Amino acid sequence: MAKKNYNTTEDFLLDESFNNWSKENRLTDVDFWDEWIAYNPNKKEVMNEAKDIILGLQFKNSEPCEEKTNADWVVLESIIKAKKIENQKKQAPNYFRFIGIAASILLLVSLGIYTLTGNPIKVVYKTAFGEVLNLKLKDGSSVTLNSNSSIYYYENDNRKVWLTGEAFFEVDKKETTNAKFWVITDDLNIEVYGTSFNVDTKYEKTAVFLEEGRIWLALKNGTTKKMIPGNYLSYSAKENRVLDEKNNLKSHLKTSWKDGSIIFEKLFLKDAIKKIEETYGVKSVFKDEESKYKIITGAVPITNLDICLKAIEKSVSVRIEKINNQLIIKNRTEN
Amino acid sequence: MKNLSDEFVWKALKEGDLKAFSILYKTYHPRLYNYGLKISGNIPITEDTLQDFFLYVYEHRENLSDLDSIAPYLFSSYRRHLLRTLKKRSKIISFDEMNVKIIDIQFTPEEIMTHQESETFKDKNISILLNKLPNRQKEAIYLKYYSGLNTNDIANIMEVNYQSAANTIHKAIKNLRQEVSILQLLNS
Repeated sequence: MAKKNYNTTEDFLLDESFNNWSKENRLTDVDFWDEWIAYNPNKKEVMNEAKDIILGLQFKNSEPCEEKTNADWVVLESIIKAKKIENQKKQAPNYFRFIGIAASILLLVSLGIYTLTGNPIKVVYKTAFGEVLNLKLKDGSSVTLNSNSSIYYYENDNRKVWLTGEAFFEVDKKETTNAKFWVITDDLNIEVYGTSFNVDTKYEKTAVFLEEGRIWLALKNGTTKKMIPGNYLSYSAKENRVLDEKNNLKSHLKTSWKDGSIIFEKLFLKDAIKKIEETYGVKSVFKDEESKYKIITGAVPITNLDICLKAIEKSVSVRIEKINNQLIIKNRTEN
Repeated sequence: MKNLSDEFVWKALKEGDLKAFSILYKTYHPRLYNYGLKISGNIPITEDTLQDFFLYVYEHRENLSDLDSIAPYLFSSYRRHLLRTLKKRSKIISFDEMNVKIIDIQFTPEEIMTHQESETFKDKNISILLNKLPNRQKEAIYLKYYSGLNTNDIANIMEVNYQSAANTIHKAIKNLRQEVSILQLLNS
């Protein structure tokens, strides 16, 4: 490690153990260089300079949001398609001319009037807390939208939807055209051929559960994953990693909400209450620690909060008071 | 080292698959948009040139298949495209020097994370010090630490040789460190 001379910043930068010292990756390297500095105080400045080059600066992401990128894509896509048709005329394209065209098309799309392909009007469905909505899309696919969720698509392309929240999809396979169906969330894109699956985008991650069929995920970090029935995957673009992955997950745990109930299977009450918070848009507070860790197993309704709370009260011996939008949970043996 | 996820996109792209291109677009659009905005400081120009550029990329998609990795190609190609447009608009004659004048990246305090790994850069006024750096150094800093590109790619993008790019980055850090210690002296 210390056989050669270290004089310039380059000398240090090229050394792997020095890199480890800078990032505090390996204790042996940290110890080595800490001692080395002590014996070579005249090199301290250069070393710290090299260290700063390695560590650099951390910036916050100020890139445009997904919606903007998607909207811009829709416009570009229509330009490309139009050009394909126009290309029979064999014109040498003048790229700078499109600045004018692209600008006016952008304006028209945002007014929702028309573009070269037709009427890209945006269709939006939203559910409130405690509401479950069943939709049928133009191509025959059905979507069940869970509470506090929204879905939108552009009228000219109804096999591509954007989802925030949670939804269950039953997509028709298009035998004749083999046209793919796409679901787009903040974290990933799902490419679908005739299948049924659940997508959940709460808490800055997207979790996908495949009940039947085959789907391909294109994660926002560029990797792709194929899923088969029973697979469950949870990915966060923000953290740039797969959070959870399971095979053979039982369907009803992830999709029971479609039939109007949430199923708890040996959950801590605090986790079950969290689900209630998400579904009904309420906040909760526990008056004692013990209640948090009571174990609950069973089904509660998704569209009636009062019955839901009564069911929980009975099941695990707690008292739940509802004041405005807040739940107060107490152990029932005390009072 | 071939970027494996890019390979997936190229294969489909070669078949003219618009869906594959949309993945490429959605992956790189935000980063290039930010870069373009930093260079031009102008939203309509950034948006127009970026759309233009992606159209060009789509129509010349065969170029993509020989690449080890797409990102540096897109950055350098877009940069050239943007500079051409900016020069035309300001009617500057095309000297190489002029590129340096045009690209004056400004950093804002909001873009800098409060948690910095290096003790040196923890000052909340670090963005002011960054903006004092010469234009070249600022762009190098942006490409390396904001966009996460390596020195080789940066050299390509800024159209200099590797050593020159490395020197620019080192000088930038050295300058920043000096500015920080001056600031600390003044405040003590």
